[in-house]
Amino acid sequence: MSDQPRNVRELAGLVRDAATRSAATRDAGLRIEGAGTWMDSGHPVRAGVTLSVGAMRGIVAYTPADLTITVDAATTLAELDAATREHGQWCPLLPWGDDRGTVGATVATATAGPFAESLGRPRDLVLGVEAVDGMGRVLGAGGRVVKNVAGFDLTRAITGSWGTLAVIARLHLRLRSRPAVDESWAMVMDDARDTPGGVSRNDPGAALREFSRGPHAPLAMLDLAREDAAALALPAGTRALVRIGGNGAFVAASRAALQSTAGATAVAVEPATWDRVRTRLAPGDRALTWRWDALSRRLRERFDPARVLNPGLLGEEG
Amino acid sequence: MRETPSFPRVTTSAFPTVADPAAPPAPVDVRALAGALAGIVGPSHVLTRDASLLVYRSDGLPGLARDPALAVFPGSRDELVAVMRALAAVGAPFVARGAGTGLSGGALADGVTLLGLHRLKRILAIDAEARTATVEPGVVNASLTKAVAPFGLHYAPDPSSQTACTIGGNIAENAGGPHCLKYGVTLNHVLRATIVLPDGTVIPLDRGDDGGYDLLGAFVGSEGCFGVVADVTVRLTPDPERVITLLADFTSVRAAADATSRIIAAGILPAALELMDQATIEAVESSIYAAGYPRDAAAVLLIEVDGAAAGLEEDAAAVETECRGAGARGVRVARDATERARLWQGRKKAFGAMGRVSPHLAVQDAVVPRTQLADVLEEIQVIGARHGLRVCNVFHAGDGNLHPNIPYDAGDPEQSRHVHQAMREIMARCIAAGGTITGEHGVGLDKLPYMDALLTAETLDAMCTLRDVFDPERRSNPGKVVPVRACKEWHGAASVRGGQA
Repeated sequence: MSDQPRNVRELAGLVRDAATRSAATRDAGLRIEGAGTWMDSGHPVRAGVTLSVGAMRGIVAYTPADLTITVDAATTLAELDAATREHGQWCPLLPWGDDRGTVGATVATATAGPFAESLGRPRDLVLGVEAVDGMGRVLGAGGRVVKNVAGFDLTRAITGSWGTLAVIARLHLRLRSRPAVDESWAMVMDDARDTPGGVSRNDPGAALREFSRGPHAPLAMLDLAREDAAALALPAGTRALVRIGGNGAFVAASRAALQSTAGATAVAVEPATWDRVRTRLAPGDRALTWRWDALSRRLRERFDPARVLNPGLLGEEG
Repeated sequence: MRETPSFPRVTTSAFPTVADPAAPPAPVDVRALAGALAGIVGPSHVLTRDASLLVYRSDGLPGLARDPALAVFPGSRDELVAVMRALAAVGAPFVARGAGTGLSGGALADGVTLLGLHRLKRILAIDAEARTATVEPGVVNASLTKAVAPFGLHYAPDPSSQTACTIGGNIAENAGGPHCLKYGVTLNHVLRATIVLPDGTVIPLDRGDDGGYDLLGAFVGSEGCFGVVADVTVRLTPDPERVITLLADFTSVRAAADATSRIIAAGILPAALELMDQATIEAVESSIYAAGYPRDAAAVLLIEVDGAAAGLEEDAAAVETECRGAGARGVRVARDATERARLWQGRKKAFGAMGRVSPHLAVQDAVVPRTQLADVLEEIQVIGARHGLRVCNVFHAGDGNLHPNIPYDAGDPEQSRHVHQAMREIMARCIAAGGTITGEHGVGLDKLPYMDALLTAETLDAMCTLRDVFDPERRSNPGKVVPVRACKEWHGAASVRGGQA
């Protein structure tokens, strides 16, 4: 059985119905779904009904000069990227996985990506949320402003809760300007480093780590395993991938630093490489080990007392 | 748009008081409690006499005062936990307080126990390699930065009260500051914490990055209603290689606001972007904090870009171009650290400088989308003029975070009434612009009357639910943040739960 609400009111009605039904049947649980491409937590959801927010999709409000955007939950990452790219901006969520995934699922699972260190994690990029909790209450917290401390932070509680506290209907997100100059470099390392027991006199890995902590910190730096280079169609011997961005003078200095890394050769690659990286190197599904301390149990209990939202997903006991 | 909030009770101050006092707590035997607490912290760290408690009757916000029944000051983590358990044992409500620099009345204790944390001021660990520090809640914000300066690091959130305010208070309020434009607010710099829940339980909290709810994220900004920080681990930020500070001079506030939008839209992310209007400039330049701002300017922008030396001058040049494009009369670059410090001192001490203008200052805090700044600022001036008041704007323009401040005399009931009314109209205008009623000062007592206009009844109810997860007895900072009448029981859900069992 599947339900597909068209708006937050219908969504709230369906959740409320499920909560009421739960008194009579064990199958009242709802499996919350966006595009249906999201990562498996490794735990089965005990739900008789799939509740798809797939119809709640699209850009709701976007004033580029505010550097914020409001989107419905099932808007895909690709749609978000296209809408913002047009104005020289991006939403730095850029999570592991491909861009068919939805913004709602990215935020619900707080899935970060290779740019999180420099551009922010989902928990830091979500400005506000409209959501329906397990009792069918419609919650609207935060909004289209970048600073907001009016009341207790429901947005933080809901972000990364895997839909077990509330079903996300709509999101307000922080945007950033795309860097004026945006370059990606494959760092091809000397063989000596990888000979068994042998280490090159130079340690390009350490040099790059130092680079990434310094004033020219890149947008992303990723260590690659030997076999990754072929899978990503990168030059043979590529052991690290670096993305640098900023104004012309900044990028020139960053590039010079990369090119002078002893024991490694910098080879320019296409920015699209990162899309392949996010898809191919996404961490595999593994059973999520949730921290079920007393406070977490109480949080779940208070926001979804009937246990209708993704029951079992986080591996909690009955 | 919901109906405008009503203000049922007005104190001697200009400001509405808490609309709904919490349900009367069980009577607490103050003398017995004071005795029990003195047994934990020593008699010299418990205050019960009215005269000694006077200093704790207000915080940084003028016009609001509440008298605590007693005050207790634990000197160690063990004492803190023992105090919290003693309070829990008799069901005593309490209010945690750091330096008392808050600007929303959040640290006022109305007839209950005030729990002062300023003695808990040890820096427990600095890890320069990991760029983190672990501190007790009473550590002063600027002291932390000073302690980590030898490592080329600093603590980024920099509220204007940073030389006095504490990290614990910063966490309670999710404090901001000028440099939060680029570096983020307190929330973005807190990694882990140890919390004492109101029932005396000591628990670790984190952001849930390894598989868990973001309980720490929910705790940050909870204004002392969820519990007390015993220690916290914060992120430290490397000092920038270079800093360029600019002062742009405008003949209208609108032009300065437009310049703000243009800079942000041009893709530059300044470390700070502050706007001061003519009334503020005049107050600063007439004070001991005179910073050399042009007295005849309608507004100035104080703009700072920082980071790697490479490319920074290009960013500064682009900022200047956008300012001139918006009509700036002149753009000055601070020549050296001394001039930079002087320009910043004027900004950071602006509130103090306004003390010259009048006996009291109504400090306000609201946020609007950045593109709404120019229109909202104009309307704020109109609102002020209608009430015969002068509004001094000094604020974080880059974030759209307004601070319309009104100098007034709290002893003048007629003027106080006008201040109150003007503030209400300003808040309504910011809500209508898609904004919010507080960006960094918190709700406390001061903003309670506006919560109904900003948030739906269901949302307020859910906020009460979140509070109840941490503090089901609602003893921690009672009566703050969410109007108590908004917290209703969800009888339907309770019956649902019963049926499933």
